[in-house]
Amino acid sequence: MQATNQPVFFKQGPKPFSLLLIYASLSLTLLVVDVRWQILQPVRETVSVALYPLQWLATAPISAAQQVGDYFVSQTALQRENRKLQDDKLLASAELMRLQALRQENTQLRALLSTRAAHQGKGTLTEVLYNDRDPFTAKLVVDRGESSGVRLGQVVIDPQGVVGQVTRLQPLTAEVTLISNKGHTVPVQVVRNGVRAVLYGLGPENPLEVNWMPLNADIRSDDVLVTSGIDGTYPPGLPVARVKRVDRNAGSAFARISCEPAADIDKHRFLLILDERRDQPARPVEHAAKPARRGAHKEPA
Amino acid sequence: MPVSSQLLKPVKRSFIVFTFIVALTLALIPWGPMVRAFLPDFVALTLLYWCMNQPRHVGVGWAFWLAMLLDIADGNVFGQHGLAYCATSWFVLGRHRQLGMFPLWQQALYVAPLLLANQLIMLLVRMATGSGFPGWSYFVGTLSGALLWPLLSQLLQAPQRVDKPAEIQS
Repeated sequence: MQATNQPVFFKQGPKPFSLLLIYASLSLTLLVVDVRWQILQPVRETVSVALYPLQWLATAPISAAQQVGDYFVSQTALQRENRKLQDDKLLASAELMRLQALRQENTQLRALLSTRAAHQGKGTLTEVLYNDRDPFTAKLVVDRGESSGVRLGQVVIDPQGVVGQVTRLQPLTAEVTLISNKGHTVPVQVVRNGVRAVLYGLGPENPLEVNWMPLNADIRSDDVLVTSGIDGTYPPGLPVARVKRVDRNAGSAFARISCEPAADIDKHRFLLILDERRDQPARPVEHAAKPARRGAHKEPA
Repeated sequence: MPVSSQLLKPVKRSFIVFTFIVALTLALIPWGPMVRAFLPDFVALTLLYWCMNQPRHVGVGWAFWLAMLLDIADGNVFGQHGLAYCATSWFVLGRHRQLGMFPLWQQALYVAPLLLANQLIMLLVRMATGSGFPGWSYFVGTLSGALLWPLLSQLLQAPQRVDKPAEIQS
């Protein structure tokens, strides 16, 4: 009102106070809108793009100075850091290797634990001490012996299947003959059709073989062989081997069936000695068993 | 020396804009938390200076829009700087004739409470919207801003000074 009467020289636009009222109320409105509904995000984003050059201007000298500083880091400092990092890396990789070994051991132990539970908790967990020193035999020495209640003829398994049986006892250790030992036999049965057979070991590093099967025997590759339990030493139903190849050569009387053990017989550190007593009829006297010697398993005393 | 006692060239609008850009850039520099506590609010100082010395160019509207930019740059709630800057710039605009008479140190004494008011308003807004108290170091910037005032005034006035007063008379 008053402004219209004034000469142009004094005209200063709206009064500061009214401007203050306008802008302050605008500020308050924005404040409330922003805090309450958070709908101003697009505005914020748009304007912050416009502000970007200023931000760049503000930060560019600092980052440039940092880069120059980085460039002049002394050689010795770099070398020192490098050496330290190398040391750290060595230490870390050693730790990592140990960790991996421990992890593997742990999984195997857990698997054995569940295997043991499957056998009604009967069995002794044992650790492999060393392979037998004789390179011609497939034998292990484990850390449980007579004092732990281990008996001759007990079956040793790992989570996948049969590993062997206890063949010699010492007070604190026991010797386990692996199923791959030459001459070691396991009476088996094909899971698919129940055909009975005998599995022979051919010595360490060699496959297992099923011998004395006629050419037309119903055994195919990938058949799973489990213990039949006929001999009274091996409890029935434990996986022993998987048929790898069947050669039916007309020139020979028998099929040649090679198998690979189901268990990792030469890998693990921990094994389970099964403790399954079964009531068996009395054993035939020695002279009666003699003719069957060839097909029978290697029976400990 | 009182500002008004000098004969000054008219200010260029582009120079005002330039000073605000510089002030905004200074505000955007990522100072560390220690330095930041001691730094004055450059935008507020520049704004108060221009409100005091060029009230016909710079007013409450400038205050508001600059405050918007700061809010966006800092990611604060909208209107936090706006309220504070509008209020203090209005206060200075109302008394710019009187303030222009004062020597610089006296102006600084006047500016200090205004800066404090700025901080207080912003603190109130933030606490009203749910933020916590940032600590007493928040107010240290007020003191350094007041100390910086004479220097800033001299600096911003420099382009307006006449080198040789004789030339004007001729």
